[in-house]
Amino acid sequence: MIRFEQATKYARTKGIKKPIIEDVSLTMNRGKSVGLLGRNGAGKSTLLRLIAGAIKLDKGRIIRRGKISWPLGFQGSFQGSMTGEQNVRFVARIYGVDTEQLIDYVEDFAELGPFFKAPVGTYSSGMKARLAFGLSMGVNFDYYLVDEITAVGDTNFKKKCQAVFETKLQDSDLIMVSHSTGTIRTYCDCGVVLEKGKLTYYEDIEDAIRAHDKNMKES
Amino acid sequence: MSHVFTHFRVVGALLVREMSTRFGSKPGGYIWALLDPAAHILLMTFIFRAIARAPALGTSFALFFATGYIAFQFYQAMTSYLNSAVRANRALLSYPNVAPIDTVVARFVLQVGTTTLVAFIVLGTIVATMRVDTSLHWPAILEAVAMACVCGLGVAMINSVLFLKYPLYEQVFNIVNRPLFLISGVFFLPDSIPAPYHDLVLLNPLVHMIMGFRQGFYPEYRAIGLDMEYLYGFAFLTLFAGMLVFTFSSKTLRNE
Repeated sequence: MIRFEQATKYARTKGIKKPIIEDVSLTMNRGKSVGLLGRNGAGKSTLLRLIAGAIKLDKGRIIRRGKISWPLGFQGSFQGSMTGEQNVRFVARIYGVDTEQLIDYVEDFAELGPFFKAPVGTYSSGMKARLAFGLSMGVNFDYYLVDEITAVGDTNFKKKCQAVFETKLQDSDLIMVSHSTGTIRTYCDCGVVLEKGKLTYYEDIEDAIRAHDKNMKES
Repeated sequence: MSHVFTHFRVVGALLVREMSTRFGSKPGGYIWALLDPAAHILLMTFIFRAIARAPALGTSFALFFATGYIAFQFYQAMTSYLNSAVRANRALLSYPNVAPIDTVVARFVLQVGTTTLVAFIVLGTIVATMRVDTSLHWPAILEAVAMACVCGLGVAMINSVLFLKYPLYEQVFNIVNRPLFLISGVFFLPDSIPAPYHDLVLLNPLVHMIMGFRQGFYPEYRAIGLDMEYLYGFAFLTLFAGMLVFTFSSKTLRNE
């Protein structure tokens, strides 16, 4: 379960103060995957970082029950000067997972070949996405926060993602940001629309998509 | 409790990462951490042996410079390495369980370890090969080293925040920090400075730190003007200020 209690967060850049979420109270229950919809720049990625706990709220709080992954995006949380393998080792250590097991899993999943032992800075965005995706799937979480990651990569990679997701989703949930409604439909049961600092929860993902489409037309 | 364990785990992971990226990429690896200060001391010894007849203390030029230089390094190498601890690990901060302070702690542990190792090898070699017997006074040495580390940590914590917030400050700090090596009494004794400047030199807390460190190697050294209370006060005040700034700037550090 993830619960927002009067949560408020502002984005500040160069004197401009813009609300991401304003006084939001919302509960997302376990057992349902959530699609997060909103226009460009509404703050969907920031919201994921808030849920993960990588950044803090200005007001209110977020109560988390269960293990939550880091936000899994294609730009990655990787240190460019470290090799793919070193990055995997690092994550294994900070999450207290068996290092060798995780390395084997990721090496097999990401199919980077010799690049696995090259600095991540030399990777293409598709390669980074494969590494990021394989890495997070190798660690067991109750919630996986996914930020547009399936958008990169070729058909093969997408198929692979789908296969892993299907096994993972039996006992984990997804919170997913994507501009592709097709992807959201495939994986998510319910939806949350972020618009003008408000979060609206929809039991049915179709309702969420409809509400989002309506917002887009209005602008 | 699990919170504490997470910090330990993260610091451990960062320590491994720092070691592999700091030295692992160069041929020779960790040897350079040792070779660099040793070469410095050797060079200074040669130069001063050419200009002066006897060192300001004792009979060995090498010991005189090494004690000054290594004591100074406990502060200087610390800040120059720790100033960028958060910045260099920024990408890793997107993992929610990596906190900015972890990056500082990891680098602190690594730097204290490295400089201590260098101190043992360089000073140990010099003391062992000297003709005159030297008796070490450990409390004085450890006291000076501890204060240098505390002071370095505090300055670095302040800088981690201010460098990110005010890029101009970084330039100014570097300009001010550069001559520190010349005025901290690495290759002179503050006792030998004439009156009006003597008091000025003693305003620099590092001067006191180096004097304290040398007292551990030269029992006959009287270190006139040495004020350990001043050094303690400065070091802990800096650390306190650093912790305060660091705690209240988590947004800057996390790049929000």
